[in-house]
Order: sequence, then structure tokens, then C-alpha cells
Amino acid sequence: MTTKEHPIVAQVEKFPGMPGAAVKLLTLVDDPDVSIAQIESILRQDPGLTANLLRLANSAYFGIPSKVGSVRQAVILLGLKRMVQMVIATCTSAIMDRTVPGYDLPAGELWRHSLAVSVAAEGLVRALKLDGGEEVFTAALLHDVGKIILGQFVHNDYVKIALALDQGLPFETAESIVLGTNHAEVGAQVLSKWSLPEGIVHAVRWHHEPEQAQRIDPIMDVVHVANMLCLMIGIGVGREGLNYRPSPVVTKRLGITTSHLEKVASQTLQWANELSQALAA
Amino acid sequence: MNHIVNVGDFKIGCDGDMLVTHALGSCLGLTVFDPVAKVGGLLHAMLSLSSINPQKAQANPAMFVDTGVPMLFRSLYEKGALKGRLVVKAAGCGNPMGKNEVFKIGERNYTVLKKLLWKNNILLESEDVGGTNSRTIHFDVSNGQVTLSSAGIKRLL
Repeated sequence: MTTKEHPIVAQVEKFPGMPGAAVKLLTLVDDPDVSIAQIESILRQDPGLTANLLRLANSAYFGIPSKVGSVRQAVILLGLKRMVQMVIATCTSAIMDRTVPGYDLPAGELWRHSLAVSVAAEGLVRALKLDGGEEVFTAALLHDVGKIILGQFVHNDYVKIALALDQGLPFETAESIVLGTNHAEVGAQVLSKWSLPEGIVHAVRWHHEPEQAQRIDPIMDVVHVANMLCLMIGIGVGREGLNYRPSPVVTKRLGITTSHLEKVASQTLQWANELSQALAA
Repeated sequence: MNHIVNVGDFKIGCDGDMLVTHALGSCLGLTVFDPVAKVGGLLHAMLSLSSINPQKAQANPAMFVDTGVPMLFRSLYEKGALKGRLVVKAAGCGNPMGKNEVFKIGERNYTVLKKLLWKNNILLESEDVGGTNSRTIHFDVSNGQVTLSSAGIKRLL
């Protein structure tokens, strides 16, 4: 997978980039001196994005009682981090809405899964009272972006992958054996090309193999658990079914119990619907 | 006519109806059929016990096995079904790989179902539960036939 000629690498390089406004906003997130005027001037160049952003800010999921009518209000009420998350969600929905071969996901299902994992991950962060969980939304939203590229390759080599699954291997290991890479790794490559923060790239890269990561990170752990939970409740579960292995090390270090999982699961559909309605309108 | 049953929902059908539910992972898919009255119902319950989220259970009893199953049976009785004639089949209740107890939501769903049926003297005619596959149910209420699709293979339950 290191040669430039490899067809999967070529697909990663050809993959659409992030829109300019999103990239500019991302670079501002960690700037303590950023002003609302700067944000307004970036968004002014993209009225479509601004409109989508305001619709999202008004979605039931965020629970803001008054109507958010301007970028200024959205930044004040939601904060810049939330705003940038919503910009990313708005910009990626079109890419993630497609049919995904290989995993046999009909149009819209990967996106529905992505939204569900995002809200479930945020639910887990709240339930476990974790610090620094702000980045979990975007990491969860984009954790499966690699499936869009890898799907065709999984489809072409499914017979070999199925043979590896018959040996009792988890799906991402079967992908690695047959294709030389897996959807988590490919997703991480896309996100680093998009210049997303390292923490997000790291969480996406290891979302199926958190025990292999060099660094322990609660965001990675929460995405790992939230993803598994959403597959279990049937949101975005594809041909591979539940052929993934939830890490006992992660559940232990998060201190997570079945009761946490069940409580979050019982609310996930409603939260995901609230968000997706705002994005689909 | 095809009727899709979403997660945390149930539907009753009669002669000529096909009740369908997709993507049963850990969730329970339960079909109940009265061959004489020609009515049937399909439940897609997500979690075992309504005590997990009582507020949700009140708004949407079909989300939980312990409230969804009784509701499914009651709705069928209202349509003329009789307990002694019912054919009950279960599918789903899968679990991910490994032995991580925290993730045994599917197993819990199955346990609660078995307890409920046992207490009410109802036997399962057939079942396809557990494992890592995602399952889809097609329930033909004309003849009670339940077809399971899983990992690209179709078979009768």
C-alpha cells in the first residue's frame, strides 16, 4: 500500500477535497484571538453553506429555544467548535449520502449511520462525563468515510474476504489481509488530506483496533463503542453484519456498562432523526 | 402490499400483506401468525426492558421486548386471533464477535423474550437467533411464511 500506483492510493488522491470555507474555519478553531467578524467574512463567500448552517443550528438536536437567524447568533449560542462541526457535516453529507457497494449499503444509509454514531458518541461522552469530548462529533461523523473508497474493492474481492471471515477474523482484519488496507486506515488518509486535526484522524484510523493505537484517547474509544452500538441496533449495518470485535480493554478503561449502552441506544434514533431532518430539508 | 416495520415499531397485516423488517442486528424480530384468522404481526424491538428508559417506553412501547411483545399479541387478539392457534417465530438477537459481556444486548433481548413466552405458555415454532449476521425478515401474512435473508442467503424460518 505504499506505492503511488496502487489503485486504492490513487482513489484516495482523487477523492474530493473539503470546501474552502470549511478548511479556513478549521484553521481558526484553535486561534484564541479569532473574532466573529472573521467567521462572518468567511461564510459570506458561501451563502448556500450559511443557509444550511443556520438550519442545522435550529435543529431540535441542539435544543436552542430561540430562533438562530444569523451567523453571529449561531457562534454566540453554539460556540465556534460546534459551528465548525456543523460546517463539516453540511459539507460532507453529499459525499456520504451515496450507495456504498461492497458493504451493500443503500443510498443514504452510510450517512444515517454516521449521524447516529455522532449523536450516540456525544451521548456516551455525557453519560460517562468525559472531559475534552468536543472533537468526538466530527470523528464519529467521518469514521467510515473510507468505506466510500474501499467499497468497490471490497465488492470486487468479496469472495476472498468471505473466506477470511470464515476463519473467524473481524471484518477490518479480513479487509487488511485481502486488500492490504482497511476502511479505517483509508478514511484516516482522506481526513489527513483534508487537514483535519490529528486527534480526529487518529480516532478514525483506530476505530476498529483501538488496542493497536500507540496513544490512548477517549475520543477514539468512544467512537469505537458508539459505532458498534449503532451497528447492533441496525443503523448502517451492512453485509458484514456484526463481524467486528468490541474491545474489552476499551470498555474497561471507559468504565462503560451495558446500562450506559442501552440508555444511549434508546435515545439514539430520536437524536439522529432530529439532526438528519435539519440536514435534509 | 409491502409494509416496512422500522426499528422500535410493529405492524399488523392481513391476507395479502407482506410485513418486512431490515437490518436486525441485536434487535429482536418476532412474527406471530394466526392461520385461521389470517392475521399476523411483526415486531422489531431494540432493547430488552422498558425500565432502561420508561419515558421512551411510554411513548413507544415497541422499542422494548417487555412492552412490545404484549402489545403485539394484544393487537392480534383485537383482530380476531386466538392464542391457541398462534405460530410464533423469532429472529435476530445477534451479538458482535468476542466475549465482551457489556455488548450482549442481543442476548438480553432473547432472554427477556423467552421468559415472557414461558410465563404465558407460548412456544416458539422456530428461531434463528444469535451470531454475527444481520438479518432481514419477509413475513407473508397470506400463508404465514417467514423468509430470512442473511449474508446474501435466503431461507424459510
